[in-house]
Amino acid sequence: MEAPLRPILVALGSEARALRLIQAGFRMARERAVPWIAVHVETGGPQLAEDDEQVQVWLQEAQRLGAEIAIVQAPTLAQGLSEVTRSTHAQALLLGRSGDRWPWARVGHSTADELQRRGLDTRIEVLDDRRGSPGPERRGTGFGAMVGTLSVLGACSGLAWLVPREGNISLVLPVYLAAVAFIAHRWGQGLAVLASVLSALLYSFLLETPRFSRVATHWPNLLFFLAMLLAAQAVVGLLHRLRQQAREVQRREVHTASLYLLGRALMRNHTSGQVADTAADHIRRVFKAEACLLFPEGSGWKALPAPSLDPDLPPPEELLPRLDVGERLGDPLEPLSMGQTYCLSLTGTDRSEGVLQVLPQGMAGLPPGTWELLKAFAVQIALTLERLRWLDEARKAQVQSETERMRSTLLGAIGHDLRTPLTAIHGAAGSLLLPGDISDSTRRDLLTMIQDESERLSHLLGNLLDLTRLESGAIQIQKEWQPLEEVVGSALGRMERRQGALPIRVVLPEGLPLAPLDAVLIEQVLVNLLTNAQRHAPGLEMDLRAWDEPGWIHLEVADRGPGIPAGFQDRIFDKFFRLPEAREGGVGLGLAICRAIVQAHGGRIHVEDRPGGGSSFRLALPLDGTPPAPPEGVL
Amino acid sequence: MNQPLILIIEDEEPLRRFLIPTLSSQRYQVLSAVTATEGLAMARSHNPDLVLLDLGLPDRDGMAVLKELRTWSRKPVVILSARNQECDKVRALDQGADDYLAKPFGAAELLARIRVALRHTLQADVAKPVMCSGGLRIDLEQREVSLEGRIVKLTALEYRLLEALVRRNGKVATHGQLLAEVWGPGGEGNTHYLRIYMAMLRRKLEADPTRPRHFITEPNVGYRLNLDAPGD
Repeated sequence: MEAPLRPILVALGSEARALRLIQAGFRMARERAVPWIAVHVETGGPQLAEDDEQVQVWLQEAQRLGAEIAIVQAPTLAQGLSEVTRSTHAQALLLGRSGDRWPWARVGHSTADELQRRGLDTRIEVLDDRRGSPGPERRGTGFGAMVGTLSVLGACSGLAWLVPREGNISLVLPVYLAAVAFIAHRWGQGLAVLASVLSALLYSFLLETPRFSRVATHWPNLLFFLAMLLAAQAVVGLLHRLRQQAREVQRREVHTASLYLLGRALMRNHTSGQVADTAADHIRRVFKAEACLLFPEGSGWKALPAPSLDPDLPPPEELLPRLDVGERLGDPLEPLSMGQTYCLSLTGTDRSEGVLQVLPQGMAGLPPGTWELLKAFAVQIALTLERLRWLDEARKAQVQSETERMRSTLLGAIGHDLRTPLTAIHGAAGSLLLPGDISDSTRRDLLTMIQDESERLSHLLGNLLDLTRLESGAIQIQKEWQPLEEVVGSALGRMERRQGALPIRVVLPEGLPLAPLDAVLIEQVLVNLLTNAQRHAPGLEMDLRAWDEPGWIHLEVADRGPGIPAGFQDRIFDKFFRLPEAREGGVGLGLAICRAIVQAHGGRIHVEDRPGGGSSFRLALPLDGTPPAPPEGVL
Repeated sequence: MNQPLILIIEDEEPLRRFLIPTLSSQRYQVLSAVTATEGLAMARSHNPDLVLLDLGLPDRDGMAVLKELRTWSRKPVVILSARNQECDKVRALDQGADDYLAKPFGAAELLARIRVALRHTLQADVAKPVMCSGGLRIDLEQREVSLEGRIVKLTALEYRLLEALVRRNGKVATHGQLLAEVWGPGGEGNTHYLRIYMAMLRRKLEADPTRPRHFITEPNVGYRLNLDAPGD
C-alpha cells in the first residue's frame, strides 16, 4: 500500500509577513506535489480583534491557494505546532520568526529550536528574511528607563573597578561604550547622552587614580568625555537609521500585502455596491478610518456603503474639478484634506469614476506615510469601477445589438409572412367582387384560399402573442396533476380537427404517473412539435412516446424527415431561426414557444438524431411536488 | 314553428358584419346590439332564443351582462371570447353561460355551437333518455351503456360522471360543475379525481383513448360529450 503523501505545514499568525509564508508554502507544496496545511495556533493569550480578523484573511488566502485549514488551541506556539506536525505526519514545517518577541529568545528558546528539541521527524524551515521586527522606537522618558540607565552605568562602573588601574583607559573605555550603546538601543537618544556624560564623570571621579581628586578639566578626561559623547551619538544615529530602514521595509511589506488583498477582494466584485463595501472594509482595517464612495448616478450622486461622511463637504461635482487639477500639489491623485475628511478622486485610465472620502477614526488624522498607500488604494478602486463600467457598457451594447437584430428579423418576418397571406386574401376578395361571372369552382378555390390564408395569419399572430406573453411572464403556468393521456388526446384532437386523420403512432405505457403540467401549454408544445414533424416529413409516420423515470416524465415526438443538420440543434430553438434550406412554413417561433413553455415548467427540451433517419424532439418535465392522493377505490 | 331569434351583443363592426349575414343565411332571425345596455334592453323586450355575447364590451363587462341576464332568463348564452383566456371561459360557464367560442372562429364552428345550444333548450322539457353517437349508446332510463352493441360495465362513479355529461347534451361542463355534481359539495379541489375517472371512462368507451371521439377535453376548462361523433 502506498503511504499517504506527507503534507507541508505552514504556521500562520496575524503578521503581515504571513503572505510570504503562504506563498512559500504554496510553492513548496506544488514543487513536491503534496498537500499543504495552514495552521494557526491559538495560545489563549490576549488577542486583538483586528489580529483575529487578519488571521482569518490569511487563512482564507491560504485556502484559496489550495491549503487545508487547521486551527488548534495550545498553551504555546511550539506545543501546538508539534501536535499538529505529529498528527498530520508532515514532512516540513514553515514558520516565520515574529512569534519570538525577545531577542534572546531567538538564540536559545525560539519556537523553531524548541520544536527541534522535541525530536520531530520533520524538517523545520524558518523563513528568515533578515529583517526582523524593529519594534517601536523607545523613548527614554519613564522612571524605569532612568533607573535602568543608572543601573547599567553602576554595573559598568563596578566592572571597571575590577579592571587593573594605572590609567588603563583602553580597557575601561569599551565597557562604558558598550553600556552607552546598550542604553541608546534600549532607551533612546536622550538617556544615551546623559549616560555618556555620567560615564565620563564616573570615570573621572571613581576610577582615575588617585580617586576623587582630579577634576574633569584634566585633558584626558575631557577627551574621554568627548569620545563617549561622540560614540553615543554615533550609536544612536546608526540604530536610528537601521530602525528606520527596517520599519520602512516592514511598512512596505504591510502595504504590499494590504494592496494585494484589496486587489484580490475587488476582483470578486461585480457591482459598484460590492466595490464600495470591499473598499470601506479594507480601508477600515488598514487605515483605521471610515470610508465612503460617491458615484455619479443619473443626474445626482450615490453614496455607498453609507451616506456621505461629512454633510458639510462641498458636493462631489464641485469637489471633482478641484481634485482633478490637484489643488494641493498638482497631482490629481493627491488627497484633499477637508476638515477631518480626506477626499480622493477615483481616477481610472480615462476619467474620474467618483470620489473617495476617508475619515480617520482618531483625531490625529492619517499619518503622512500612509498617503501613498491610500492613493494606491484609490487607484485600485478606480480601476475596478472602470472595469465594471466597461463591462456594463459592453453588455448594454450587446443587448442593444441583439435587440436591433431581433427587431430587424421581426420586421423581416412580419414583412414577408404577414404580407403574403394578406395580399392573397385581399386579391381573392377583390376578384370575387369583380363584375362578371366566375365559375363555381373558381369561386370555391378563391374562398378556400381566403380561409386557409386567414388561418395562417391567425396562427402566426397567435404564436407571436404567445411568445411575447411567455417571455414577459404574462402567462402564469397553472400546473395541475393529470394523466398525460388527456393532454396528448387534446393535442391530437386539435391537430386532426384541423387536418383530418394523421399518421401518428402513439405509445403511452399503462401506469404512467400523473404529471403536474399546464394542459393548455403542453398541448401547445405537442401541437407545435407535431406540426413541425408533419411539415418536414409530410405523409410519413410520426411517433409520440412517453415514459417516466423517478422525478421526471419524458415525451418524445419523432419523425422520419430530413433531420436537423449538425450545428443547428441548439439554434433551432431560437426565435425566428429557420434552417437555411427550410421549405415554406413557419416563421421560426414554434420551437421557441416550446422551449419557453418547457422551461417555464422547469423542464428541458432538446432534439437529437433519430436512429434510422429523422429527428427526435424530447422533452423532460419534472414530477415535482407531492402527487395528490388517488380517489378511493382506484389504484 | 318560428325560426329561433338570436341576439348578438358585439361592439366590433367587422364581427357583426360577419355574424349577421351568416346567421341570417341559416334562416335564423337576428337582432344586434353594440353596447351592453342596449343588449340588455333588447333581451328584455324581444326575449331571444339565444344570445351571442362578447366579453369585451365598451360600456360594461360582459360577465356582468351575463349575470344580469341569468337573473331572469334561462335562454342559452354563447360567449365570444379572446383566445387563451381559460379562466374567463370557466368563469363565464360557471356563471351560467352555455358555451363559448374563442376568436378567431369559423362559420362552421359557430353554427355547430349554436345548434347544440338551441337543441339543449328545445329538448330541455322533453326527457330524452337514450343518446346515440358514433357507436356509443347511452340509455339513462335503463342505466345501460353499450359500445358497438356490446354492453359496457361502469362503476357507480363512472356512471354518474357519464350521466352528468350526457345531461348537458353536448355543452361544455367545467371541472367545478362536474366535481360538484358527481362528488357533491366539497369535491371542487380534487380536479385530478375527475381526470382519473375521465381517463377510465375513455379506456372503456373510446376505441383509442388518446384520440377521444366522444369525450372531448377542453383544456383547463372541462369536458364535453360529442353528440355528433363519426361512426367507425
